[in-house]
Amino acid sequence: MSSKAVIFGLRCLGAVLVILGASGFGISMAVQYTKRLSQLEQLRRMIFLLKGQIVYANASLPEAFEAVGKREKGPLGALFLAAAKQAETLEEANFSAVWEQEIGKLEEKNGREQSALSRSDRQSLAGLGRHLGFLDREMQERNLLLYLEELDEQIAQLRGHRQETCRLYTSLGVMGGIFLAVILI
Amino acid sequence: MVKREETLLKMFPEEIRKRIVQIPDWFEQVQEIRLRVGGPLLIQYGNREFFVRSDRGGLCKDQKEAYQVSPKQIRETLEHMASYSLYAFEEEIRQGYLTIPGGHRIGIAGKTIVQSGEIRSMKFLSFLNIRLAHEVLGCADEVLPYLFDQDQKKLFNTMILSPPRGGKTTLLRDLVRQISDGSSQMDGVTVGLVDERSEIAACYQGVPQNDVGIRTDVLDACPKAHGMMMLIRTMAPRVVAVDEIGSRMDMEAVEYAMNCGCLVIATVHGNGMEDIRKKPVLDRMIQEKWFDRYLILKHTMTDGMTATVCDAEGNSIVVVSLSVRAGAFKK
Repeated sequence: MSSKAVIFGLRCLGAVLVILGASGFGISMAVQYTKRLSQLEQLRRMIFLLKGQIVYANASLPEAFEAVGKREKGPLGALFLAAAKQAETLEEANFSAVWEQEIGKLEEKNGREQSALSRSDRQSLAGLGRHLGFLDREMQERNLLLYLEELDEQIAQLRGHRQETCRLYTSLGVMGGIFLAVILI
Repeated sequence: MVKREETLLKMFPEEIRKRIVQIPDWFEQVQEIRLRVGGPLLIQYGNREFFVRSDRGGLCKDQKEAYQVSPKQIRETLEHMASYSLYAFEEEIRQGYLTIPGGHRIGIAGKTIVQSGEIRSMKFLSFLNIRLAHEVLGCADEVLPYLFDQDQKKLFNTMILSPPRGGKTTLLRDLVRQISDGSSQMDGVTVGLVDERSEIAACYQGVPQNDVGIRTDVLDACPKAHGMMMLIRTMAPRVVAVDEIGSRMDMEAVEYAMNCGCLVIATVHGNGMEDIRKKPVLDRMIQEKWFDRYLILKHTMTDGMTATVCDAEGNSIVVVSLSVRAGAFKK
């Protein structure tokens, strides 16, 4: 076999790899989008449970977060459990500090499953913790309901654009790969 | 024991915590810790009042050397005591106290919020009184034989009297434990304990942290009057134990319990029989001889802690030394 044929073969292989890599990236973006949506839906369910624990069972924040965390799996369940555990140590001056610390850990790759929540999702979730524990039970309920409204809007928006966005990510990945391959060849 | 000590200690901000640990045997000897906004940190230690030193911690008598408590520290202490959840203690705050794990009672004062003549809540909480709970296993050993009717082989309905911080709750806790577990003189019986302020059993998430016996059912954080009736209807106790009765509703519940065939062990605030006779609700109870035994607790510098055992008419039968000096309780 001539060296030209070998080079051509390698180029083709490279092109296929570029296309596969770019397509994979596009698909992973689409998967991330779907995962974020499903985690926001899970979060909404957890906030409902938290509201029940606080309003009806009159549970303290560590108790409520632990009870909810135990019922849900994944990074969000782990987040709630970690916040409950940290709150029980009473090392921080208020719950907001505990909560923000644990939300910060969501970004770290420290053995925990990483969450698919975006930076704005995490900021909004951290904001919830700033108002929890303050005043009476009615105020806790209102804060949670307000956050649930925000979540609902976010979920509706993501659901509305899910199909087109996922298709866009996938096609862009594939097309971008082909484009790169053509340029490189 | 160490765990209980740490649990209490971590309620305080670091600045206060590190000064308290400098007090010798603080957990064994301290009876009360008082925090007032802008005021000195005060400690009741072995029945005497001390300041906490500002420089290196420990105790002192000179106010100039005393550590001053800031509003932020009061806020932080409250946040910790309520597990960052003051909303969950609305009812307790309305009544002016919280109970924290370990059964320690925190008295709180600030500005009350009144609506339609009733206290709705409290804000600007600026004064805290932390009363350390004592668990003294065996402190009822000396009095128990006098509370047992040898002829009829049953316990007497018993009322324990003492002023605040006199050891009523501690004695009641050990009586409940011994009655529930049984002893060489009597078999253990089922005890229903209504622990309105979570001080006796010190339940945490429903589990008693203090030893209240193997046959004791605890109704935690439940109003006394309702709790007694609920327990009788649901748990069929042989003995009902309740702390600090005094209202008309409480007395009605005690009467109901006795009429249901249950034996009642209760405590009430008072220096002696004369004190409780002055209260119309309680006077009727003495006149009608609801209780067969009264235990009047006193502690003096010379005799230590004593219990005067009285009969149904309030006549003294015997004075028993409890051999537990107030302020030297184990916790």
